[in-house]
Amino acid sequence: MTSRAGIDSSTTDKAGSQDSQNVLVEMRGITKRFPGVVANDGITLTIRRGEIHAVLGENGAGKTTLMNILSGMVCPDEGTIVIRGQEANIESPQDALRHRIGTVYQHFTLVPNLSIIENVVLGTPSRFVLALNQAEQRLREMLGGFELTVPLQTQVRHLSIGQQQRVEILKVVFRGSEVLLLDEPTSVLTPVEVKELFGILLGLKAQGVSLVLITHKLEEALEVSDRITILRQGKNVGELGPAALAGKDDVELKQRIVDLMFGGLPPQENGGRAKIAAAPAVLSLRDITALGDRGTLAVQEMSLELRASEIFGIAGVDGNGQKELAEVIAGQRLAVKGRVTLDGVEITNCGTSAAVKAGIVYVSDDRLGEASVPAGSVADNLVLKAIDRAPFSKRAMLNWSAIQANALRLIHEFEVKAPGPWTRLSTLSGGNIQKLLLARELALQPKVLVCNKPTHGLDLKTVRFVLQTLRAQADKGTVIVLISSELDEILALSDRIGVMYNGRLLATFERDEADLETIGHLMLGVRI
Amino acid sequence: MNRRSFVSAITPVISSGLVIAAAFLVGAILLSLLGKNPLQAYHVLISRGLGSSFGVSETLIKMAPLLIVSAGLLIALKASVWNIGVDGQFLVGACLAGVVAPKLAGAIPLVPMLFISALAGVLGGMLWGVIPALLKVRYGLNEIITTIMMNYVAVYLTSWLVKGPFKDPQVVPPQTAVVPEAFRLPPIPFTPVHIGLLVGLIAVLVVYLLFRNTTFGFKLWVLGQNPRTAIHAGMRVSRLTVLALLLSAGFAGLAGANDVLGVKGMFQGEWNPGYGLTGFALVFLARLDSLWVVPFAYFFSFLLLGGEIMARSANIPVYFVDVLEGLMLVFFAVGVYLERTLAERDRRRVPATQGG
Repeated sequence: MTSRAGIDSSTTDKAGSQDSQNVLVEMRGITKRFPGVVANDGITLTIRRGEIHAVLGENGAGKTTLMNILSGMVCPDEGTIVIRGQEANIESPQDALRHRIGTVYQHFTLVPNLSIIENVVLGTPSRFVLALNQAEQRLREMLGGFELTVPLQTQVRHLSIGQQQRVEILKVVFRGSEVLLLDEPTSVLTPVEVKELFGILLGLKAQGVSLVLITHKLEEALEVSDRITILRQGKNVGELGPAALAGKDDVELKQRIVDLMFGGLPPQENGGRAKIAAAPAVLSLRDITALGDRGTLAVQEMSLELRASEIFGIAGVDGNGQKELAEVIAGQRLAVKGRVTLDGVEITNCGTSAAVKAGIVYVSDDRLGEASVPAGSVADNLVLKAIDRAPFSKRAMLNWSAIQANALRLIHEFEVKAPGPWTRLSTLSGGNIQKLLLARELALQPKVLVCNKPTHGLDLKTVRFVLQTLRAQADKGTVIVLISSELDEILALSDRIGVMYNGRLLATFERDEADLETIGHLMLGVRI
Repeated sequence: MNRRSFVSAITPVISSGLVIAAAFLVGAILLSLLGKNPLQAYHVLISRGLGSSFGVSETLIKMAPLLIVSAGLLIALKASVWNIGVDGQFLVGACLAGVVAPKLAGAIPLVPMLFISALAGVLGGMLWGVIPALLKVRYGLNEIITTIMMNYVAVYLTSWLVKGPFKDPQVVPPQTAVVPEAFRLPPIPFTPVHIGLLVGLIAVLVVYLLFRNTTFGFKLWVLGQNPRTAIHAGMRVSRLTVLALLLSAGFAGLAGANDVLGVKGMFQGEWNPGYGLTGFALVFLARLDSLWVVPFAYFFSFLLLGGEIMARSANIPVYFVDVLEGLMLVFFAVGVYLERTLAERDRRRVPATQGG
């Protein structure tokens, strides 16, 4: 394995001068901040004429934001976009279309009751009268590679999902787009339809269209792309050009990409293992099964025994049941099967407030959408879970001075940069919000702390602070369940590591038995 | 203070004023289309409503039910429970108070009689509120729909009740027995205004203190901000939702009792003052701020009274005030929309100008 420094310098440089005229779109230093999160952090991305360029990264890596910027849905905070050598100002989807950049969204934008041709012509700029016949002729010429076996007069609602997607692509190409952005185009398709889609994409490429494929599926990216850009935590962490993609054998290449996606850092030593093995189990899960929000099985028969002072890392790609598992432990989601016991007392499905009382706290990954009231003050948010307790209230009456004192103390202890206890939470940075949430949970003096993606989207300094805080808390005897898709932080912190895939715990490792490669593969469901 | 923070601080204060002005402006156009002179109409409205002691005292009397209804709406809306059923709850409360009060009048002393009658009103309102509340937490039915539907049921149910079982057999029109003058709400000393106004002011103050000083108010606020957060924080969301709707409905019922005991002296069939819409308009214009509700209640009470004055002296349909209120809600929505888009545009523009 070669250096994982990121940019595939060899390929980029060699190609340098001769393909500069091939460059169609250049995004330079794109930064976009949302409240609490830096979605894009100085990303540079180059799209060349007639290539399929995959933007790969796991959920939340910033892919969609980057594409929304290029398609005019979102305005960047910093950075410039250069199209065909000229700086462009893309402020709306119309602007993007004018620059011949078209987007095929995950959720289709077709009108079900209109025919294929009407949908394609609809919204063609500055035409009051629809020139359907003319359009039909042009459309027929374009249809070649599209394998649309139905008449153009068919209403869109009669088409299959795959066919609808093709109409969507057709629509964008019809408007003369030279760059096509496809946001997770395969997520709605069956495997056969995926093959057909790739056929169409290759056909378009042959006609000189550039395609940007946003995906988190490694195999698919490898299958059709000429170039892969990997995003992680809002940063461009590597670009693999045609040479890199062709030259190496698959396994090593995949490993390298997995490293880039999840961030492989050399594992760190940590001590205190022997002590943990001897300690009695604090939290135990038996055959936990739970449903996701859509009623599908999210967690399947998971069993775990966790001891005092243990940090148990759960690795996995987002959306493999980690969040649901955390919510079951925190009493926030019903387990349909199985038992949760804390210190030998069963607490299955006891509800959130009982779980908190028993000593289980949960740092949710959805900091602004679930864990806090963004419009509330820092002080309000710090007592959200303890409002019924002394000293914050007495006989249902609030004690504002205790609430303020609590805020001042925690702001100081956790080195939060906040103007004061009554500052509106949403005005703070993501890192400071996370510190506050962590402070709030730890102030409850938990026996078990469940953390979901505690460092997601944070700057390095805060990441270190959070990880140190967790370690220190574990040393005080708290069991910590650390859920993260950042393999390096799992490896840096955990005493034991489990890998979740499709709602199941595929394997658990002692820290010193675990290696990046095995875990990385297990995270993608590849058994070795 | 830079331009943006100054604008955002002042916006909510001036926007309600602008909303009211815009509604009056469009109202003036409508009046002109009807062939009326809007300036003359508004002159009558202001000179009689504000300029006469009769106008002022009538305004204060009409303010009482608005304050009580708004107190309830504040609880529900701050918890994001959309109680559109104020009118129905008001009617059921008024009807029950109208049945209980005449039976007790003379049988027991004035103070307990008024208390029990008011309690009957509160219970009537809650009875009408508990159904949508349970439907919401048990079956996830949207309370906006159910409370609106309950309004219609209440209108017809109460008018049937006073035509049938609760009808005063002594008189021809469908109504409950009349509460003797001596057993109505007494006036505030040295004024012609009955003590309902004080009840209303206390109700608003209680709600203000509820949200300022109690854990219950804190939890309702969190629920209103984001139910997911409330669940995450271990709050009992179903219970809070039911309580918010029940309290809100209870206040609506109390307002019903107030009108029966203070103004009308009985419950009449097919009577529906429609305080719900007015309450909504004024609570929103006050930006869900408990204390701002008081001046807005005065203003809306003035409008309601003004509607009657304009009807009598300028021959303008009494529904014109409803039109004005509706326009205010529309312009309020427009105002909120504008504020959001302006804020969004500011947010977009600032980095862009810095960048290049």
